[in-house]
Amino acid sequence: MKRRKKRPSVPVPTASMGDIAFLLIIFFLVCSDTSKERSMSLDLPQSGYVEKTKVSVAARVSIDKEGILYFDGQPVEGPKDIEWGVRAVLANTVADDQRHVQFTCDAALPKDQFEPVIKAIAEAGGILEAVGEKRE
Amino acid sequence: MSRKSRGQEKKHRSGTIPTDSFSDIAFLLIIYFLVATSLVKVKSITADLPSGEKAAQAQTEKTPSVNLRGAEIFFNEKQVSFDELEARLAALDLPSQEGAKRVILLESTRDTPYSSYFQTLAAISASGGVVALVQEEEKK
Repeated sequence: MKRRKKRPSVPVPTASMGDIAFLLIIFFLVCSDTSKERSMSLDLPQSGYVEKTKVSVAARVSIDKEGILYFDGQPVEGPKDIEWGVRAVLANTVADDQRHVQFTCDAALPKDQFEPVIKAIAEAGGILEAVGEKRE
Repeated sequence: MSRKSRGQEKKHRSGTIPTDSFSDIAFLLIIYFLVATSLVKVKSITADLPSGEKAAQAQTEKTPSVNLRGAEIFFNEKQVSFDELEARLAALDLPSQEGAKRVILLESTRDTPYSSYFQTLAAISASGGVVALVQEEEKK
């Protein structure tokens, strides 16, 4: 008859778990860009020229399918609000790299709704970063 | 023996900071950052549009213009396809031009959808042009 050996219980070392976790937190703190964008349903326009945005944007402007305007995730009334909002954000900037304003708009919207907003961003001194999808 | 002297004799207990819940707190913070962080990189085109005054100065007779009328594209008043527009823009050799010679006027009618506008804006920017938006004069 075989005699069963009693295996010694091996303790899992958990002493360094806290350290690992805090290192992960520091990683996320350094790398994160907190989401100011509301999740909205829109169809993005397509182009073969779009590339991954390499610059950090100073502000985010969006127009959804219903034509509602958003500035940094908050609904605003019109292009004038966008212009003053962008002006305020860009007031303390010193370099061109800090002037980029992300613009997201539904592909089907007519000119009356998107062009005044693009002009407002330009008037405020922003460099337009128009969001789209890569055409394959 | 007095109370005071008894107190002096007390030995200080060696206190340990409870660190058992540290990892739990840390993982909760990680979950918060995972939820709040946007890791998705958006794709975009960059266009530095001149402001109104500069755009008005740029409107000369010789400045090339792109006119969007609904789905139709006109380059210097001649109808072109999107591929032809790209070819014409490339022929202008805009990156080697200076200042005002890089300006391309972009005009559009009211029924122009953003998708057409975006494609044209992207093509002009990619060819090295500076887009100047043409504003319609309001009818009195």
